[in-house]
Amino acid sequence: MDSQVKGFEFRGNAKEWFGIWIVNLLLTIITIGIYSAWAKVRTKKYFYNNTYVEGRNFDYHATGKQILIGRLIVIAALVVFNLILAALPVIGLVLLLALLAALPWLLVRAMLFNARMSSFSNVRFNFVGKYGRAFVVFLLAPIGAYLLIAILGGGAAFAAETVGIAVAVILGLIAVVVLFLVFPVIDRMVKAFSINNHKLGVASFEMNVPVGPFVKAAIFASLWVVAVLVIGGVLIGGPLVAMFSDLEAGIEPGPAQMGLIGILYLLFFVAFLPAVFIYQAMIRNVIYNNTTLEGGHSFTSNVSAKSLLWIALSNMVVVICTLGLMLPWAQVRMAKYLADHTGLIPGADMDSFIGEQQEKVSALGDAYSDIEGLDVGLPI
Amino acid sequence: MSLLPHQVEGRAYPRLSSRQVAATLKHRAVMQSESEKPDDLFIDILDREGVVLGGAPLSQIEVDWPIGRQPRKLTLPDGTVFETDDHDAIGQIVGESNSTKLHRLEQFHPRLIAFVLACMVGVWVIYRYGLDILVAFAIWLTPPVLVAQIDKGTMATIDFQMAEASRLDANEQARVEDIFATLLPHIEDVPDGTNFQLLFRDMPGMGPNAFALPGGTVVMTDAFIRDFPDEDVLASVLGHEIGHVVERHGMRQLYRSLTVYILIALMAGDTGPFLEEILLEGNVLLSLSFSRAHERAADEFGVKLADRAGYDPAGLKIFFDEISKKFGEPPRWLSTHPGSKERAADIDGYIEALP
Repeated sequence: MDSQVKGFEFRGNAKEWFGIWIVNLLLTIITIGIYSAWAKVRTKKYFYNNTYVEGRNFDYHATGKQILIGRLIVIAALVVFNLILAALPVIGLVLLLALLAALPWLLVRAMLFNARMSSFSNVRFNFVGKYGRAFVVFLLAPIGAYLLIAILGGGAAFAAETVGIAVAVILGLIAVVVLFLVFPVIDRMVKAFSINNHKLGVASFEMNVPVGPFVKAAIFASLWVVAVLVIGGVLIGGPLVAMFSDLEAGIEPGPAQMGLIGILYLLFFVAFLPAVFIYQAMIRNVIYNNTTLEGGHSFTSNVSAKSLLWIALSNMVVVICTLGLMLPWAQVRMAKYLADHTGLIPGADMDSFIGEQQEKVSALGDAYSDIEGLDVGLPI
Repeated sequence: MSLLPHQVEGRAYPRLSSRQVAATLKHRAVMQSESEKPDDLFIDILDREGVVLGGAPLSQIEVDWPIGRQPRKLTLPDGTVFETDDHDAIGQIVGESNSTKLHRLEQFHPRLIAFVLACMVGVWVIYRYGLDILVAFAIWLTPPVLVAQIDKGTMATIDFQMAEASRLDANEQARVEDIFATLLPHIEDVPDGTNFQLLFRDMPGMGPNAFALPGGTVVMTDAFIRDFPDEDVLASVLGHEIGHVVERHGMRQLYRSLTVYILIALMAGDTGPFLEEILLEGNVLLSLSFSRAHERAADEFGVKLADRAGYDPAGLKIFFDEISKKFGEPPRWLSTHPGSKERAADIDGYIEALP
């Protein structure tokens, strides 16, 4: 089985990418942001073009002009929206609700645009997700989950005062369990919506991951948080309590106390940041290892949370210390790591993908997701 | 023409298909019937057996922008794609264009050091001058009706959320209104469409306070008039708020924060996620320093206006001395306003500079 796995390969290098990146930046600055549309295309093209599997690469086909038009419309709408919010607060609130309802539509348009502008081995991707489902996945489910937890929490507080502490504890525990289940369930809905609606030409992707592994990843990540906080509590809990009682007694904190607060911040950092990477690495692996592409193709992934965390952290330190100049190196390093730990098990031969004639689609949703910093890229 | 390479080796894909075949690109002079441009080349794509996969005049072929060492790609009108790693040969055949110049600019070369420096200078110039120009342009575009509406909308929100009708008696209100009316004729360069009006509100959460809206509405809390009934203090503080209106500080801050947000968001793809956070946080700190600069400018304006209208400009100083005694000082770099002690000291300078 393993002998059939064809590894992904990232052929870009930091030197080459640095030249493209700095020219992107310079022209964007000179044109007060206008060139950023072309810079986006060159960035995507560079990373797509350099990603190979089975001797074939990806490509990105959007033009700078398309993206610029989308961005100009979104920026104009953003400015008008902010002015209305300042001038006519009531209408502004109605608009805010309208924007919320439009959010799933914009996300679907962004995914559609991005998919159709991307290709592998001369065949374009496509996206067939519909607004109705997106509305459920991106709006209804999160809002519903929030309400459910709020009601359970409120119910627990209410029960503590009226019925008795036992009922309150049970309701509180249910709230905690629901909280643990809800996040992985919604995350799975989002991933399934994205992957199952993507196509390479006419071939569909299918994610066969039940909710179990998502819950498992959330539990592992939480265990890390709890373990770190417990160990931290044992180590610095005593001095911390002493410090707070000092503060209440009105004693000014000295340098030792300041150091303690610093350690407290560090503790939260150590508790939560690795947890994010543990969750992401486990989810990435399980999704790749259980996703198929019509034609008998399947995928593999074996990233480790430890390596991802190390690369992300050391990248950040290097980038900050070099005032951003090593960013291209950092980006290439991450792309190489991800490609090296991703594989394809080809089914039928790679020559048999077939594309479809596609309608043109505007870059509106894409521009919106760029400006809001949302990530709707290919699930690769 | 004869200097062009005879053929280029590469790969071809049929339209809408991932089928990859080894292919050769050949070219010949175009026939008159084939193209409107007489010096056009006719490109043929052939497979290894010499079967023609597709062909078209070069002027009708879509040539991809080159990037890095990645294969050059040609798309024929019928959708057939030819790609090759032979950059030199294909470059000679398709010729120079803006995209190949861009590609050359991006090559790793000592010139890039100059680009890095130019980027740093560029960021500084945009921050120092470019933003002001963009903001001035946006303000110039904003119709005065809209600015007046911002005042109305904001007042409606404030009345709804945190303000009650004033409890001051009519005489006291009339006295402060007289001071306001005395100041108005002494303002120079009032922006178009500005409609100055003074409103009194009871805002228990805000203490002794006053603020201005971009269209010319100045609001003063009851607590202010109760704590600082002195007419010199009232005149210079009203002058300070009028300064915010005349110098358009509100609109400038609104547009500036929007512009910076958009610029950072547009460049985010080129900075990376962590750095974007740092830039956005840094921008918040810088916008605070911007807001503090506006407060100082309004102080100076208020001192001058009070002086021109015949009040003692030291009134503003009395106010800040009192405030710093009562409330202490928050950390300066985290605040929208400079420290009261510092402002009181600066006011001495403004008073000395008065004609």
